[in-house]
Amino acid sequence: MLRLALPKSRNQESALEALGAAGVDVSTFSNRRLRQCLSIEPLSVSAPGDAGPEIREVEIVSLKDWDLPLYVEYGIADCGFVGTDVLEERGADLLTPLRLRAGRCRMSLISNTVLPPSDGAQIRVCSKYPEWTRRLLAQKPWGAEVFQLWGSVELGPLLELAELAVDIVQTGSTIKEHDLHELEVLAEIAPTLVINRAAFQRQRVALNELMARIERAGLVGA
Amino acid sequence: MRIQSGLPVGVNAAFFDEARRIRALEALLSTRLIEGGFHEVLLPILDYYQPYENLLTSGATESGAAEQLYRFIDRDGQLLALRHDFTPMLARLVAPRISQWQLPVRLFYRGDVVRFQEPRPGRLRESAQLGAEILDAPEASNEQEVLELFVDLLQRSTRSGTGGLQIVLGLANALEPLIAAAPDAAAAAQAVVRRDRTAAAAVSRALLEVVRDGAPSDFAALGHRAGELEGLFEIKERLLQSVSGDDVQVSVDLAEFEASSGTIQGSEHLYYQGLVFRAYRRGSAQPVGNGGRYDGLFKALGAEVSAAGFSIGLDQLLAAQDTGGI
Repeated sequence: MLRLALPKSRNQESALEALGAAGVDVSTFSNRRLRQCLSIEPLSVSAPGDAGPEIREVEIVSLKDWDLPLYVEYGIADCGFVGTDVLEERGADLLTPLRLRAGRCRMSLISNTVLPPSDGAQIRVCSKYPEWTRRLLAQKPWGAEVFQLWGSVELGPLLELAELAVDIVQTGSTIKEHDLHELEVLAEIAPTLVINRAAFQRQRVALNELMARIERAGLVGA
Repeated sequence: MRIQSGLPVGVNAAFFDEARRIRALEALLSTRLIEGGFHEVLLPILDYYQPYENLLTSGATESGAAEQLYRFIDRDGQLLALRHDFTPMLARLVAPRISQWQLPVRLFYRGDVVRFQEPRPGRLRESAQLGAEILDAPEASNEQEVLELFVDLLQRSTRSGTGGLQIVLGLANALEPLIAAAPDAAAAAQAVVRRDRTAAAAVSRALLEVVRDGAPSDFAALGHRAGELEGLFEIKERLLQSVSGDDVQVSVDLAEFEASSGTIQGSEHLYYQGLVFRAYRRGSAQPVGNGGRYDGLFKALGAEVSAAGFSIGLDQLLAAQDTGGI
């Protein structure tokens, strides 16, 4: 049996698409259940060509994105899908073998002006991702005091709490709606398959087959 | 019961049943080693820092291993370090004397090691270990004996048939030729550590196979280490034949031991050459033991000797849910 962690957020749709491609019967998936078992096209647990036991069911646990890496790192779940934004902010000692093509977005620098800060300026930057933001802005020719917001980050530059915000942009509609400007794309964010290191060793054959099915469906990007 | 509150990160105190379990496990494994002709050594918790700074710094790069040492200045001005790993300490004390000893020598130790680790699940800064080393004439090969003993000890700590023991075999630094051939060696190394299939495939088919299957299908991809890889699969087969019970799986996986891997528990990757191995148990997020061949460590200390050994993390072993009979 494999236990797989599924995010509750924007990444859920692309994760379910990948699971479907991997042979999991996602038609019975319920978003309201914290854990559920779904059938999967048999996955061999022994070497290719060897007759042996097969995995015919996976247990899905639904988790908040921010909690998901911890569950996988502790080995409570064998693997899961989570955005690279969470991995960058939280840090995790996990395998990250695949990034999905669908569900991608970007981490951008957002301002209420069209001009970037002038060289040597000292500004305030708000973000839900303070650690990653500090790394992303480390090479800028201006200085930044980075602080964390938990709510609507775009309100920071809008109400001049901060000159800039660093936040996830999907379509850009929220930015346009509030007359803000996307000054720069700092990084791409992708839903990523994460695997516990010990689980990979114990279930290598099955996990490799699961990943191969997702790759064959053309759902994996660089 | 374990108490962590009020103590520094990564350390804990064991009370009542938890303390009894640790001591019982230690006694069970020690008894097996004594019956097998191993002699116990008692090593100090304090030592000078300087010998380890030299032993644990690899090449031109500053080693993360030396950074893991807790060090401080004694009242007489000497820079001291807390014991972070038994093997280098044992080697540095034994190397000047071993020419006077009759080989082979079988030694074992038990006690705590203290090393700085980033606070991550299952990682302790102070943990209880038990380990064994076989030192023999330079041409001797004790790898099979060491491996079989390692598996036997881990099986003894487990209820029959419930261990879910996974033994991973590798070759220390074997991927250097594959990684060095990549246009961006640092990115290729990172692809191996993270098992990034897309990035590995962009480098070479051999690297993708390593990331996916643990080893390249064409052993020649490893250059002068190809013969060692063939030998490694033979070791795997012999080990599978020697272990009893169907709860032990053995695999070859070179990526598991890539030097910058986040799973490296200490300084081991710096002194092992040739065979390296690691064990996982069901229910433990971290490896429960590791070992390998480390003749080079003795050579660096001026002694020609065949050295192989392992250590078992008692805390990690007990963290596995199904440790039984203890």
